[in-house]
Amino acid sequence: MQSHGIPRVAATTLDKSEQARNKERKQIIQYQALERDVVDRVKAKDYSDTTFQLTSQLLTQNPEYYTIWNYRRLVLQHVSARELAADEEPSEQDAAAANKAGLPPAQHEVLLLIKEDLQFLIPLLKQYPKCYWIWNHRSWLLGTATKHLPAHSAVTLWQAELGLVSKMLGLDSRNFHGWGYRREVVLAIERLSSNGDGEKGSGSGNMVESEYAYTTKMIQSNLSNFSAWHYRSQLIPRLLSSRSADTNARQEFLNAEFELITRALYTDPYDQSLWFYHQYLMATLNPANAQALPVLEPCGRVEHARYLEREIGSVREMLEGAEDCKYIYQALLEYSGRYLEVEAEGGEVALGEMRGWLRELRGIDPLREGRWRDLERKMGL
Amino acid sequence: MDSLDNTSWDVVITGTGLPQSLLALSLSRSGKQILHIDRNDYYGGDEAALSLSEAEQWVKKHGGDASENADSAYSHATISHSEAQEEGAKKLGFSRAYSLALTPHLIYARSNLLPAVVSSRTHSQLEFQAVGSWFTVTAPPDGSSSQSRLTRVPSGREDVFRDDSLDLRAKRSLMKFLRFVASYDEESEQQRMKQLKSLPLSVALKQHFGLSSATAVAPLLALALPTVSEAETTMEFAVPRIACHLRSIGMFGPGFSAVLPKWGGLAEIAQVACRACAVGGGVYVLGQGVKNATHAEDTGDSKLRLELTGGEKVLAEWLVGCPRDMPSTISTHNMSRAASAEYMTKSISIVSSPLTSLFPPTAEGGVIPAGAVVWVESASSSSRSVRILVHSSESGECPASQCVLYASLRGDPSYLDIAVQHLLESLAERPKPEVLWRMQYRHHAEAEQPRNTTTSENVVTLQPLSTDIVLEDDVLTSAEQAWRKIMGDGAAEFMKFESREGVDEDE
Repeated sequence: MQSHGIPRVAATTLDKSEQARNKERKQIIQYQALERDVVDRVKAKDYSDTTFQLTSQLLTQNPEYYTIWNYRRLVLQHVSARELAADEEPSEQDAAAANKAGLPPAQHEVLLLIKEDLQFLIPLLKQYPKCYWIWNHRSWLLGTATKHLPAHSAVTLWQAELGLVSKMLGLDSRNFHGWGYRREVVLAIERLSSNGDGEKGSGSGNMVESEYAYTTKMIQSNLSNFSAWHYRSQLIPRLLSSRSADTNARQEFLNAEFELITRALYTDPYDQSLWFYHQYLMATLNPANAQALPVLEPCGRVEHARYLEREIGSVREMLEGAEDCKYIYQALLEYSGRYLEVEAEGGEVALGEMRGWLRELRGIDPLREGRWRDLERKMGL
Repeated sequence: MDSLDNTSWDVVITGTGLPQSLLALSLSRSGKQILHIDRNDYYGGDEAALSLSEAEQWVKKHGGDASENADSAYSHATISHSEAQEEGAKKLGFSRAYSLALTPHLIYARSNLLPAVVSSRTHSQLEFQAVGSWFTVTAPPDGSSSQSRLTRVPSGREDVFRDDSLDLRAKRSLMKFLRFVASYDEESEQQRMKQLKSLPLSVALKQHFGLSSATAVAPLLALALPTVSEAETTMEFAVPRIACHLRSIGMFGPGFSAVLPKWGGLAEIAQVACRACAVGGGVYVLGQGVKNATHAEDTGDSKLRLELTGGEKVLAEWLVGCPRDMPSTISTHNMSRAASAEYMTKSISIVSSPLTSLFPPTAEGGVIPAGAVVWVESASSSSRSVRILVHSSESGECPASQCVLYASLRGDPSYLDIAVQHLLESLAERPKPEVLWRMQYRHHAEAEQPRNTTTSENVVTLQPLSTDIVLEDDVLTSAEQAWRKIMGDGAAEFMKFESREGVDEDE
């Protein structure tokens, strides 16, 4: 099974010679012993460093075993609590290092623990970039840092995370774990940098412009990136409010976005992710659509009708040279339907033309006949 | 070493060019007694890479016209240096800082040579660099004072998306054409390809794909790299070439379709191949060719009696080489130059600047390429264009802060140098990059002759490289055919070896 072109090797393709089976038997026995050891220790509340090392061994072999990640966190919690509650004097070395980092010794210890664990995760993450539990543990470590450490320390860690996630997205730009994690990181950095003023508008921590630019970069290196287009759509409302965009600025912005997506659609109308973004832009004009925040202000019936007219015309032109592209017909039907709801007497589309599109659609995609019949009925064609 | 006189061999290979060296590599584990000779005193034969002083000697040897160089692929060689040698002016480095390839070739990622290099375990001794961007240069009309213009060729969907010189229609039409090319040999498109194949590319683009603007046609011509004029470039020629490029992009990394071997191109591959054969027991002697070859009737088997240029007499069961290295007594190689009127004029120019604008990174976070391809448009659709391969110092062929331009043009050379100047102007670099040193020569194609028909069963002729700049798959298949003949029933898998014990490999 391939994911985004990166092949995964199924366990069953391994060599099954007698030698290999013996080796595998030994490995299984070792693994089971290791597992039993860890479980017993945690049951006995043994949160020593030995237990910790054993969880490392076990997780390196099987990072999907989420219970062991939980146990690891129990150990880490126990150790950090102990450090933070400590009354004893730190060693000279530790005190000096903590001083250099600008932290009290106890917190510095916790920071070191967290950093070490983050390091431990990196090779695992590279090998298993889609393992929920690895991303989750990373998230937990950063959360612990935020809880126990002053903002300036925590934010440094979060910024390193931004670098890591950019690298991971460079390796696989369609890994949704990466995109989700990126949003979490950006949120954390903004919170920690907003100096408690709560104003997301002009705070020094406002990253919405740079994140918007990041989506532009990712799209330019690979048009078929659902995640990048989706992220872009999520950023737009905040972007515009952060720019304090007035009516004109908003109109210019929306027109520029339409120009971008139209250019992409002319390059490749067969790419579904592009159509999703076009639909999103259209949805922002629809006051009945609660999920897409409006971009234009005001956004009344007049604007909605105008854009529908314009886009239907534009998409209609896309047909030339791409008569076999079903997405074009689907878009035309969807927008025409909406147009007739908004402007019942509008002259942009005629029912006859719509019937023609539906006919084409049926011809191109006969397997979905049921769906097209449904559409026909719903639209009254 | 002991004299070769009266020695007996399983295989004698004459010439250490790429075809012969690939054969030597393929035989390197066979246990056969191999004598591999070359009449030059350097490796690489027609594909050799030369230092500056070696180039000067080579030019002396090949300076005459075609009749004086009847047994060579090259003739009419000349050298010129730039005048300015003042203090502080850009100067040539020392001779050995250069490794100039006589025939640089584009090795596409899909080429059959690369998997063979890997399976024969020679890849660890070679370093391949990316050939990244492709460009076109449009010269200003005569008498105009405007500059030549350099344009980057879009090599995939995202490039087309970003290209501002293409309007929406052109983007659509270009993508449509590229999609057709990408599947031109599949069943769904075979009918269409049949219809279009004898049309000139530019005509087919206009009539069938809605692409007529020069901004759309020139990049496609550049990707096809024809040697003939635009009017003579057919779909039959261009489509497979463009498809090769499209199918190669991204195979070894984002944003590039071809590679070049560091330190001297194909000569480097030939040397590594010969080294592998030597490790396997092959004996190497430079400065010897095969002067004469006859059948030895008295030994009972069908061995050949060969006389080398130094006078030594050796026996061989097999004699293999390219036509020009074969003695006339045994090969049907047509020595008459008149039969081969086809030649390419080639030039090697050392430029005083690294021309970094020609080597942008292949992709976001991608490698920096060491090679670029430039297509200099001709004045009209009935004249031929110049193809220029640009190699940066990262290729190991020249010192840092300089680069090498390999230009080629079929036939008449007068436009060759002008094209190089157009390229240098179009870069808008100040001070304008200079050509410090320049060498020009003619590369003659093989006269048409039937393949592998010789007067003896024991003589195998290998196909030499064409004068073109794209490495054809034929080179390896010709070596494979020869290998099969020689190995007979004992043939295992071609070019598939285990790594030798004790040889370190970075896996």
